[in-house]
Amino acid sequence: MKNKITTIMMVLLAALITIGGTTSCKSKKRLAREAAEAEYKAKVADAIKDLNAILNDETVWTLEEKENRVKTIKDWNLQNAEVDDLLFQVEKKLARERAMAERLAEQENQTGAQAMGNTLETKFRNIAVASSTDQANRMINETLGLFESNNVPVLIIISQAGGFNDYDRPTTIAKYLNYLKDQKASKNKVYDIKYNGNGKISELELIKK
Amino acid sequence: MDERALYAMTKQMGQFMRRFNYEEDQFGGRINPKDPNYRSTAKRQQSIPILFDQQSVGKNSDLLRFFIEDVTKDDSSFMTFLGGRWYSEVSTTFKYKGRLIPVQLILTVEKEGLGSKWVLTNIYCSEFNKLFPKGEIAEKEKYFLHPMSHELDFMNIYKVFQNQEVIEYYASKTYEPDYLTIFFYEVKRGNLVFQQVDAVKFHVLQIKDWYFEVSWFNRSGNNVGWLMSNLIYLSEKEKKDLIKFYQP
Amino acid sequence: MKKTIISLVVALFIVGGAMAQENELSFERKQAIDSLALEKVRDLSKYIKIAGSKTTPWSEANRVIDRAEELFMSDAEIGVSSLSSNQVQYYKVRKYFERLMRLNYDQVEIDWYNIEYVSDLQRQPDGTYVGVITIFQTFRGYDKEGGLVYKDTTKKDITVYVKRKETQIGGRTIGFWDVLLGDMRVKETTNK
Repeated sequence: MKNKITTIMMVLLAALITIGGTTSCKSKKRLAREAAEAEYKAKVADAIKDLNAILNDETVWTLEEKENRVKTIKDWNLQNAEVDDLLFQVEKKLARERAMAERLAEQENQTGAQAMGNTLETKFRNIAVASSTDQANRMINETLGLFESNNVPVLIIISQAGGFNDYDRPTTIAKYLNYLKDQKASKNKVYDIKYNGNGKISELELIKK
Repeated sequence: MDERALYAMTKQMGQFMRRFNYEEDQFGGRINPKDPNYRSTAKRQQSIPILFDQQSVGKNSDLLRFFIEDVTKDDSSFMTFLGGRWYSEVSTTFKYKGRLIPVQLILTVEKEGLGSKWVLTNIYCSEFNKLFPKGEIAEKEKYFLHPMSHELDFMNIYKVFQNQEVIEYYASKTYEPDYLTIFFYEVKRGNLVFQQVDAVKFHVLQIKDWYFEVSWFNRSGNNVGWLMSNLIYLSEKEKKDLIKFYQP
Repeated sequence: MKKTIISLVVALFIVGGAMAQENELSFERKQAIDSLALEKVRDLSKYIKIAGSKTTPWSEANRVIDRAEELFMSDAEIGVSSLSSNQVQYYKVRKYFERLMRLNYDQVEIDWYNIEYVSDLQRQPDGTYVGVITIFQTFRGYDKEGGLVYKDTTKKDITVYVKRKETQIGGRTIGFWDVLLGDMRVKETTNK
């Protein structure tokens, strides 16, 4: 009897387990699906919110952060028509912004180079018109501070006829600055400036005015 | 000083050529060969007259007119640096056996390597010319070795050396003394020692049928610098003999 | 054999062509070289003015002479003659400048005319270009009382050597024109 009971118990138990197991498995899957659905919905909502915000310039993100966000959203691969539509628009917008930023950066660089060019030209002129040798020498020393060393090469383009540069004999910045002092005239424009890692000028190219 | 005079001055022989050809404007600026004014006949007719020494050639002589007409014809003659047949006569002073003597050096531009250089082609020195006087033909005819001298083992040849002054009469009729060699010899022997340059002028035989000299005129006024001083109409055939003097 | 000769002739033709090309500088490049050479001569005239001026401190004048010497070939000479004599006095560049500094006047004025004449460049056998630039200078010497005691106008014919050279700077090859001054002839002119 005991055995029977045991057997029944066992069967029951097994049944219980089986039934229970079946019941619990089913609910887990559902739960997971629900969770995934919720997550998906949340992601879609997030994506739509963020993409709209980006589109309407309502974020405080940098362009790079915006681009990263878009990349993340794309990686989600939501396959949602609205998101896809927004992505298309946002990507177009960001590409425009990126192009603009690059242009600005370049302009800024150029303005920087131009600013340095102007600074140098002013310094050259001031050395040339200095009222005394002492004054000129002071300015020369000050100007040399912008350069990597006194021996930084100075190239002077005398002609660009025929599509290539013809140069005068290369000189050094120290010699060139003294030359300006002696000749009392500054006749060359800055054409190109190269810097070393420390932001000091390592090569200067001038061109005859 | 009047700057106009300095503009007018033909400051270099090269400027003489450029003005002669009209390859530069009145301020001395080079004219681009693509420019219609470059070597323009009309411009040359204006620029060539200022290249004459007006004191010796005159401003309006027929010769001058004839010359300008000739060199500005369709087949115009232009002067070129490397065109040959123009010579520099450099008047110098040398010390010769203790005395100062004038020597004229003749030089010409010769192409060499990647470019060119001035080379000596002849010299004129009266000391050397005296050694080879142009004798009278009748006089010359007295001096010869008769055609059968060889049969006598040239026993008569001592006569050649008896009278040094006329030794060259015994040379072939094609013989020409080479003054440049004598000059080099005397310099090498230390008998001739250079002192200084006294003057420079140019003999131009490059222009067809014409010969002219270009000399330096250092005087006041606008007709100054390197100017044509001696202009002669000379056929190319006649020129050949003259060139023999400059470049034997 | 025939083929060899033909290819030799062709090769010679090509070499000749390349050389001719190198000979032929464009008008624009020639002009650029002319102005470069002219600039060196103008630099020289500034140095002459500084060294000649009685107000220039001795040390400064010496420094300027160093600069002037750098403009010239090492063997360059200056040949000076006056109206009264054909005799040409030869000076090295430094001696010429030192003589200028030592001239016995209380005040000196050196002026240059705006007339500069640049010859064509001709090549010498080694390929170096040679030209001559002519400039005119007036010199006035004054005594203590400011009276003019000496004045002359001189024509200066200055040899200019121009050579194409190459150098490496920052890893790239820079082709440049090396301009050096050579002999200078200084001749007094009556046109004053």
